[in-house]
Amino acid sequence: MLNVKKEFGHFQAVDHVTLNIEPNEFFTLLGPSGCGKTTLLRMMAGFETPTSGEILLDKRSIAGLLPNERPINTVFQNYALFPHMTVAENIGFGLKMLGRSRAEIAPIVEEMLRLVRLEGAGDRPVTKLSGGQQQRVALARALAPRPKVLLLDEPLSALDLKLRQSMQIELKRLQAETGITFVFVTHDQEEALTMSDRIAVMSKGRVLQVGSARDIYEHPADRFVAGFIGETNFLEGAIVEAKGKVARVRLKSGADVAAAMAEGLPTTGDVTIVVRPEHLQIAADKDAALCATVETVVYFGTDSHVHLRLADGSPVIVRQQNRRDGTRPPDVGAEVGLSIPDGVAQVLKD
Amino acid sequence: MADVAVVRSPDIKKQSGFAFIAASCVAVLYLPMLVVIAYSFNSANNLAAKWHGFTTSWYNVVLANGEFYDSAILSVIVAVAATLISTVLATAAALGTTRGRPWRGQGSAYLTITTPLVVPEIVTGISLLSFFAFLSTVTGIDLGIWKLILAHSAFCIPFAYLPIRARLEGMDTTLDNAAADLYATPWKTFRYVTLPLLVPGISSGAALAFIVSFDDFTITQLIAGPGETTLPLYIWGRIRRTLTPELNAMCTLLLLISLAFIVLSFVLSHRRRA
Amino acid sequence: MAEIKDMQRLDDARRRLLTLPAVLFILAFAALPLLVVLAYSFMKPATYGGVEWQLSADAYVGFLFQKDIFDDSLTFSSEYLLIFARTFLFGIATTVVCLLIGFPTAYYMATRPPQTRNWWVLLITIPFWSNLLVRTIAVMFIIRDEGLINTVLLSLGVVDQPVTMIFTDFAILLGLFYSFLPFMILPVYASLEKLDFRLVEAGYDLYASRFQVLTRIIIPLTWPGIATGSLLVFIPSFGAYVTPLLLGGGRHLMIGDLIALQFGSSRNWPLGSAFSMILMAFVMLALFFQIRKNAGGVSHG
Repeated sequence: MLNVKKEFGHFQAVDHVTLNIEPNEFFTLLGPSGCGKTTLLRMMAGFETPTSGEILLDKRSIAGLLPNERPINTVFQNYALFPHMTVAENIGFGLKMLGRSRAEIAPIVEEMLRLVRLEGAGDRPVTKLSGGQQQRVALARALAPRPKVLLLDEPLSALDLKLRQSMQIELKRLQAETGITFVFVTHDQEEALTMSDRIAVMSKGRVLQVGSARDIYEHPADRFVAGFIGETNFLEGAIVEAKGKVARVRLKSGADVAAAMAEGLPTTGDVTIVVRPEHLQIAADKDAALCATVETVVYFGTDSHVHLRLADGSPVIVRQQNRRDGTRPPDVGAEVGLSIPDGVAQVLKD
Repeated sequence: MADVAVVRSPDIKKQSGFAFIAASCVAVLYLPMLVVIAYSFNSANNLAAKWHGFTTSWYNVVLANGEFYDSAILSVIVAVAATLISTVLATAAALGTTRGRPWRGQGSAYLTITTPLVVPEIVTGISLLSFFAFLSTVTGIDLGIWKLILAHSAFCIPFAYLPIRARLEGMDTTLDNAAADLYATPWKTFRYVTLPLLVPGISSGAALAFIVSFDDFTITQLIAGPGETTLPLYIWGRIRRTLTPELNAMCTLLLLISLAFIVLSFVLSHRRRA
Repeated sequence: MAEIKDMQRLDDARRRLLTLPAVLFILAFAALPLLVVLAYSFMKPATYGGVEWQLSADAYVGFLFQKDIFDDSLTFSSEYLLIFARTFLFGIATTVVCLLIGFPTAYYMATRPPQTRNWWVLLITIPFWSNLLVRTIAVMFIIRDEGLINTVLLSLGVVDQPVTMIFTDFAILLGLFYSFLPFMILPVYASLEKLDFRLVEAGYDLYASRFQVLTRIIIPLTWPGIATGSLLVFIPSFGAYVTPLLLGGGRHLMIGDLIALQFGSSRNWPLGSAFSMILMAFVMLALFFQIRKNAGGVSHG
């Protein structure tokens, strides 16, 4: 539904990005600050002008339209609620600007207040609301005119952790109830993983990977995506044998690992493979192919992170669940074996 | 940051003797004014410092004084007209010189608008005197009280402009974006968002323009024609005659008018950006 | 794309148009009159005020020289120069005294808790905007021979004769100080309020004394405010007109009065215009120094 492609100024804030966002989708732009995701969002809203390229909405170009001519609404990072208006006036503003009568607006405002669970707060001045409540008003205000697309610019970043978590669920619910396409911008990978139907990971103005949360976590397209989403171990090695989508990689420390490999990658030479910490297993068996020394153990409640160093000096982290059956993480200084089950490692693009 | 420091170590900022100087400062600034106010209630009929007893009769004398009344009316007319003209021009200029990309020549425009602030009043006064004299020799038109209104409007513009500009610069431009995002045309954005939020700044600027015009003496004295006696000119004329507490009563009234507008302007510009 | 670039240009044009009326108004009723004065300063005086349309540098010559009535020979005359020098000294003295008293006051204000601070600002703002004529009259009432100070001194028996204060240089200086003190306090306060007091802590941490912290850290960091305040005090006291007239009794002239005199009873508009232009030159010089000082302040930060 949305087909975006643009380049921005001398500084390439957004560098030839092409995205396809489906109707009724919860789509997230994820990346570190300065990666161009907010610029991209502002171009969709109409606050920035693309240097070149097109933005299509329902196959119609909207590049020449002013923000007030686009059926797209935004939830701003600082909410941007009108401080001189009440909650209801804020929510009804868009409809009023569209020329709807007061009689038409009132029931919609009521419905919106119900939707964001602020019944009865309509007459309160927005300045008297808490951060979480302001957030809800901003949402209701942007949803009230029933836009085709709702843009959310890091709307949860000003909230504290508890509130943020409950708002994440709330947003997901609102998206499902309204059926509006949500385009969500965040730098928080956890937020992106829990809410999105699909995620676009961005860095330095480019989109590196687009896919579902699972795709991106389990099959990162490159080193940046792998490192940005969750904790990851990178291991250096060389391909010994490549057969279809599986490659046998000999690590520098000597062990052979079977790793998944995407099509189109070179089938010989030096590569990096990536393994998630929770997929590695520590074996008491010191004769395993992969040997490591325990350096630190950090206790996290549900699990413990064991920091190890391989024989060739590269660091590895293993996440172990803390169970009550007596299994304990190894002692610091202990020599342990590591095993990498088939199919959990993946060969990375450079 | 500073607030944190207050809590953490109140001592660190202390410089000995500064509190005393600050207190004396306020005393020095207010004492003469308070004396003028106090002696407007003195029942003596000369201005000696001896206290004769409390009376409010001098205010009755002032209010029954036709000349005082006429000059007050003239002052109000000039000040209101100058306030209207300068505030409208200043508001437009503030909207034109804030927010958004600076245009070519914006710096010079700013310098021009603030020029009246750095020219000594006496120079402004004689330059306007020369200018209006020149104008009437060339065109034969005497502008009458419009001389005062035009001159006052000109030097009031920067006083009105600065608070309005400050308010605009402190205003979050994402509010305008939000309005545009919610289908408001540029005009509607101005009408429903920018203008309502700017009202305190405009009022504050207008209040300052009013005081500056109402209180002006030097420039007005130089350009006012015969019969165009504003309140400060009238008071000036009175100093040269017999001094009675009536003068104090007049000064007190003038101070109260200034005070009302100062407090108004202060409250408006310091009110928390709700 | 083209449409949006055009819109940007349209927006620029619209904002220019909004600014134009104010700029034109000031050009017409503030800048143009100054040009008229500049022109007048190069003309000959008419007998009953105004000017004769004849080019002449007499006014500027008259500033430094006196023309002999009989043979038109020029002799150096320091009369006007001395008045300028006096005025300059008054301006500098007022600025220095205002700074010495105003800085500690502003500092004290800036170190109050936020709510108290607002009250202090209001307290200084009121005299800042109050009627200057009335405030000068108030000073006159207090320092007159029959004024409050002398009455109190006499009744306490401290003196048997009133102390003459009015119509002296002291009276003028006091009047100028009193008039323009708030003009110093508020800008200095504004920059002190923005001062990051962690730097002061760092200063103490590095063994600076209170005085050293003040002179080595606080004052350099608040230069812009000090420079602005000094300018706001210097310009109006240098061009003062009412204060010397009321408190100096017309015997102790300053440039402002001299200029007014030429446009009044002396009826020598070109000379008055020339004085005004020289006064403006001083103001420009002061402005130039302020900009330099401010630039210096920035490099300190």
